[in-house]
Order: sequence, then structure tokens, then C-alpha cells
Amino acid sequence: MTTQPSQASSGKAIVAEHLGKVFKVTKGTLRRRKTQVVAVKDVSFEVDYGELFGLVGPNGAGKTTTIKMLTTMLIPSSGRATVLGFDVEKDVTKVRQNIGIVLGGERGLYTRVNAIDNMRYFADLYGVPTSIRDKRIKELLESMGLWERAHDRVETYSKGMKQRLHLARGLINDPQLVFLDEPTIGLDPEIAKETRNMVRELVEKGKTVLLTTHYMFEADELCKRVGIIRNGEIVALDTPSGLKKYVMDTSVVEIEGFGITDKEVAQFKELSEVLAVSADLSENKQVLKIQTAKGSEIIAEVHTILKNSRIYDLKIKEPTLEDAYLRLVEGSVK
Amino acid sequence: MPQALRVVYSAFRLAMLHWISDPQWVIPNVIAPFVFTFVALTLFSEASGPFGLYAVLGGGMMGMWGNTLYASGFAIEFEKWQGTLEEVVAAPSNLLHVVAGRSVSNALFGLTNMVAILLIASLVFRVPLGVANPVLFGLAIVLTLLSVSALGLIFASAFVLSRSAQVFTNGLEFPLYVISGSMFPIVLLPFWTHPVAYLLGPTWGIEAIRWAAGEESLALTFWVGIIGQENIFLVFWLDLGMMLLITVVYVALAIYLFKKVEIKSRRDGTLVQA
Repeated sequence: MTTQPSQASSGKAIVAEHLGKVFKVTKGTLRRRKTQVVAVKDVSFEVDYGELFGLVGPNGAGKTTTIKMLTTMLIPSSGRATVLGFDVEKDVTKVRQNIGIVLGGERGLYTRVNAIDNMRYFADLYGVPTSIRDKRIKELLESMGLWERAHDRVETYSKGMKQRLHLARGLINDPQLVFLDEPTIGLDPEIAKETRNMVRELVEKGKTVLLTTHYMFEADELCKRVGIIRNGEIVALDTPSGLKKYVMDTSVVEIEGFGITDKEVAQFKELSEVLAVSADLSENKQVLKIQTAKGSEIIAEVHTILKNSRIYDLKIKEPTLEDAYLRLVEGSVK
Repeated sequence: MPQALRVVYSAFRLAMLHWISDPQWVIPNVIAPFVFTFVALTLFSEASGPFGLYAVLGGGMMGMWGNTLYASGFAIEFEKWQGTLEEVVAAPSNLLHVVAGRSVSNALFGLTNMVAILLIASLVFRVPLGVANPVLFGLAIVLTLLSVSALGLIFASAFVLSRSAQVFTNGLEFPLYVISGSMFPIVLLPFWTHPVAYLLGPTWGIEAIRWAAGEESLALTFWVGIIGQENIFLVFWLDLGMMLLITVVYVALAIYLFKKVEIKSRRDGTLVQA
């Protein structure tokens, strides 16, 4: 049952003011000590109605904790937040009635039963009127291309079908605001692209979306504005093109090679002209990205450090949102 | 249908769908009762009295209580395994209603133990199981099932706070069989256990079931002292009334505890990990 939210109260779909979350943790077996873990330190941002807002950051940065506070699953330790004009601590039921939540991954569905039973269960939990329940389930499953298989057990579905069912389930109460927590994680490129198109359609239909993602190109492609979170704090918040300005004065040297070691990566990080380094050394074709303010001047250093490795390709590129993100989370942009 | 009942029914329905889709239930609900009946009938075979009834009640209670305790804890764990806990917690419905639906479904499923034992005892072991009043017998069983479910809800609140609550409830499984008088009469137990036994709703349910089956209620002397010999026909209803009264207290306590632990778990992050 959807309650009419009070848009006038703030004019914003989400308002987070200095949100913080501290967990108490007990350590040790015989001598038990209580310590505190700060998951979110000070997060403030606002999201407009109808906006697709991205929240990005490395693992453990505080993205999920922030989402769980905004969706009322956790009570903030400090600060306050309103969602659709409702206070997340005081108006718990009203917030829950008006939002949808889609968490990433293959889990989060009852795999032993079919899609209709999954949808019906959540329709009942959300109090969707019984007069429209079955019609809405059919419409949602049809819109996600799942109606043909609606009577099959979910365990027989592909990853993509499960993700589409997640989205359908998250929309069962026709929410005005949808939280999408890493919806494309673990999906192959084609299904991820399909999911991104569905996210775009949500915004076209007038929904407000808060998306968390690891993938910068995804945030760049979808989001109107992006907040970068690091160590429980928002370190930058702007449009994707605005964020790229943080690294406008730099260029990126991208090296494809083989035999590059962690030690060599560390040597690059020590160079004063290097602003940030990212390396994917796990695959056969290793990729090293070096962000520098000096562009081609660093190439001589590259050949010196990588003298024992093979270099297949070396390019100097314009920085992307991912480079801006990398520099921001490594803390070299003030 | 009121929203609370709708959620209870929906959780009940989903749990039943899972039970049906998982053939493993045959082991705890048919094979285990068969073994129990065999052992109970062997033990009681030399004794005089309604040993068949004790075998049925003992097995039935074992099924109901075991399933309910398991379900009360498992309701939360099950959601964690499926990865659905966040979605369920984030829904606007009360978590207590979800757990209640699961608890009732599991108690009902546990009741299949009693049916299996009844069939096994009469068909395989040829034990005569005469029930004086089948309608009251059935009514008492259904209400006892609800009482057991309500007791399970109290324990379920502990699972919202900590998964180690499983150890706690595992330890409680066997004492209820013994203390509720389902396996053998309470009078055989030390006197100090009697007040504890009569604080349990299912104990009164077992009394009512026994009365409906044509056996003498153990609380008969107590009741006759209050209502007089001429109103002895009321004993069944008084037993049921006591059980329902205690069950209402269980439900009220469960509602209170769930409110408290839900807030605490949202503050501490014990229910959904960040």
C-alpha cells in the first residue's frame, strides 16, 4: 500500500545529513574486549525527484551501510535522513511502503518456488491490494520478459532471468524511489547491458533511483550525479563530467604486458610524478594504468622499471571517470 | 483480510510450498516417528494403561515442538541462506507475522508425525487407539498446535539477536516432551516440576487431548475441587481455556520481545550485516 509522500516537506527524494554508523564489535575469546568499527563517518547528500544518483566507492567504503540506513534496515548512530520526506528513524513503515530495494547477485529469491509465488509473497508483505495483485504481477513479469517461464521454479532460471525477477520484485509496490545495490555485479556483459537499459527505463517512467556500483563506466553511462564514498565519507559529488575535471590536468599511461610484478607496481607508486596507479595482474594480459601529470615524460621510467617484463602495448590516454575515481579514493585529490 | 493475517497466511503458504518441494521431509516426518513408535511401544508393552495413546501423543508432541523450535530459529536462518532476509526485513510488514506464519506451518507439518504414528501404531503394530470424542480430540490438537507455535515465537525473538540462540533452543527440545506430560504422566515426575509444567500452554493442551481421548485428565482433582463433581463435563473446556489464556500471554510477550529486539538489531546491525 503506497502512502502519498510529502514532497513539499523537503522538495528532495533523499536528504542525508551527516549520517554516521558505528558498530560495536567484541574481540577475543577468553579476554573479551569491546571495540568500535566506524562504517560510515559523515555522509551528506541530496537526491532530486526523478534523478538517477550513483554512489560509488571501494569495498568497505560504506555504500551498503548508507543504503541500509536509508532503507531503515539500520538505525543511524549520528545524523539524520529523510526519504520521500519521511524520517528514516521515526517513519519506518511509511519509508518502507514507498521504496523498492533490489540487491545484486543471484541470491535474494526463493529458488524452490516459481516466479509468481515469489512475487505474490512480496506483494502480500507490501500490502498490495488483492484486487490488483495478480494483474500487477503479470504486468511486471511480462515487462521483464519472464511471463512465459513464470510457473517454472526460479532455480531453473539463468542469471539474467534472476536479475530481471529481482527488479520485478523490487517494483511490486510501485515504489516512487528504487534502491539498486550493485545490480550488475557478477553478470556477463550482455545481461549487464540489459539490466542497465532496464534501470534507464525506470527513470524514464518517473522513478527516482539510487544506484551503487563498482563499475565507473556504468555510473558514467547512467547517473546524472555521482557521489564517491571513501572511508565512510563522501569525498566528491558531482556530475560525471564534473568529476572528470578533477583529473583534467593529468593523462593516463596504459600498459599491456606480461610478467609485471607487485614490486614493480609499488615502484611506480613511489614516483613523485605519479598520482595514482591501478593494476590488473591476474590475467595473462596484464594491464597497468598510471595516472600522471607529466604524460609522455614518464615513458622512460616505465621502460626502466619494467625492464624484466614484456610490454605489448603502451598508450597515453585522456582520463576517464574511473581515473577520477581512482585518484579520489587513493586520496591524492584535495 | 487484515494485513497482519494476510502476512501470516502468506508466510505459512510459502513455507508449505517449500516443504512440498523438498522431499527430505520424509525423514523427520515418517521415518523418525516410525522409529519412535517402535521404541515407545516396546517400552510400554509391559505396562498397563493407555500406552498406545502415550506413544501417539509423545510422537506428536515431538514432531510439533521439534518442528516449531526448529522453525522459530530456522525462520531467520532460512532467510539468511536464501539471501532474502534483507528484502523481508525491509518490507513494511511486521517480522513477527512472517515468523508466525512459518512457525504455524512447521507445527502443522510436525503434526504429520502424530498422524504417521497413529497410522503406524494401528496398522503396523495393531495397537487399539480408541478415541472417545474424535471432534474434541481434533479441536484440542489444533489448539495445542497454535499454543506450541506461540511458544516458538518467544524463542524466535532470540534468533533475531543472535544465531547462537540455536544452542539454547536445542537444549529446550527434550525437556518439553518430558515436562508437558506427553510421553508419560506428569505425576511420575518430581513435585517441583509440576508448577513449571502447568506454566506451559501445551501441558494443558495435552490434558485436554487426553480427556477427549477418554482418559482421565491429571488436573481433574484440581478442577473438580473448584467446579464440583456435577460440572465435570467442563474439565475439557477448562483445560483448553487455561491453554488459550497462557497462549495469549505468550503472544503478548512475543509481540513485546519482537519490538524490542527489532529495534536493538537495527541499532547493532545483528539482523542484517552491513
